[in-house]
Amino acid sequence: MKYWWKYLCIILLLYTVVMGFSGPIPQMNILEQSIRNLYFHVPMWFSMMVLMFASMVYSIRYLSKQKIQDDIKASSYATVGFLFGILGIITGSIWARVTWGAWWVFQEVKLNGAAAALLIYGAYFILRGSFDEEEKKARFSAVYSIFAFTMFMVFINVIPRISNSSLHPGNGGNPGFNSYDLDSNLRMVFYPAVIGWILLSVWIASLIIRMKNVHRKIHHLDID
Amino acid sequence: MQLEWRQKTALGSIFIYVIGTSFLIYLIFQGNITIPTWIALFWVIALFTTINAVSKSFLKDVNEQFYYLRSVATPIQIIFSKIIYNAFLIILLSLVVYAVMILFFNQNIENKLLFLFTILLGAFGFSNLFTLLSAITARTQNFVLLAILGFPIILPLLLLIVNMSELSNFAIQDKDIYMNLGAIALLDVITLILSVVLFPYIWRD
Repeated sequence: MKYWWKYLCIILLLYTVVMGFSGPIPQMNILEQSIRNLYFHVPMWFSMMVLMFASMVYSIRYLSKQKIQDDIKASSYATVGFLFGILGIITGSIWARVTWGAWWVFQEVKLNGAAAALLIYGAYFILRGSFDEEEKKARFSAVYSIFAFTMFMVFINVIPRISNSSLHPGNGGNPGFNSYDLDSNLRMVFYPAVIGWILLSVWIASLIIRMKNVHRKIHHLDID
Repeated sequence: MQLEWRQKTALGSIFIYVIGTSFLIYLIFQGNITIPTWIALFWVIALFTTINAVSKSFLKDVNEQFYYLRSVATPIQIIFSKIIYNAFLIILLSLVVYAVMILFFNQNIENKLLFLFTILLGAFGFSNLFTLLSAITARTQNFVLLAILGFPIILPLLLLIVNMSELSNFAIQDKDIYMNLGAIALLDVITLILSVVLFPYIWRD
């Protein structure tokens, strides 16, 4: 059972989809059925944060050990994290349309934070694209990635606490939603959903890493 | 420990740039703006000027100077001196923008001391970030890259600074001010530490 976490991922996501669309939900005003988006929108951001963290860890490892493997991992995790960030924005935007009445709400600092996070990582890919030498590309983008992750963390953790204009639950203080009335039915699906989506994102990233390695092998670039 | 061995050429062009931009905006808005707009414009001009000024800080050192600098100073000395030099440059330019905007728009912030203090803290934050980023982008031949990399990363700091500037427009003192100042100072420290720790990796070639 070497791939037990992949089976776990499939089982959890099947459970999420089935229970997410048909499971019991509490009665809530305005939110109504759209609370089911909780199982999809929120885990996207959690996955993105986990992947960006992984990307930063591999960037630090690259700077200390100079192994090109670490750079491949860092960039792959960032790519998938970026993808999940876009999915998070799309699912969030749909949810916002239903509950807040608009696709984009200015008073919501987290939306702007999310957009800035995507811009930061968009710039990361442009930076990678503008170097020819592989070693330089890896080194400079690793430096930028560490910087980017720190500012990303500042953006989503510090700014929402200072400004009071968030429409997200758990407003003013904790930007999460622990204080929110998550009932046990929601929890039963929400926690497996989070783990399932994170596993899926890591899985996708691992496939990209393997593809890049195969590509290097075909083109006879050494793998150290 | 830090020696400022920078020549002051091309500084004049930046000053003209600042005054030109301010004048342009004055004409576009036909001399009529509210204080929040004034603050927003001030920081936009300051940001663009910063990018223009700081982007030159490593560009000139590409060839012979680069090897010379490497042989006489450690990376830590270089990044510190560049950050300090850029911070002073940004403060100077911000003050010019400030003066020009007071002159043109005939409006001023209520709490001037607090606003100047915000400029001071903000300038160091700008300098920490853009000095490191300009060291990265100087090696690529892509000149827009500094703006692309810098804008999203500077956003948290910029939002705090704008927030702070709006607060300094009121005469009242409350705990929001200290919280904001603390957050800006914290960001300054974080960016400074990151720049100093990461710069040696960029510097060696």
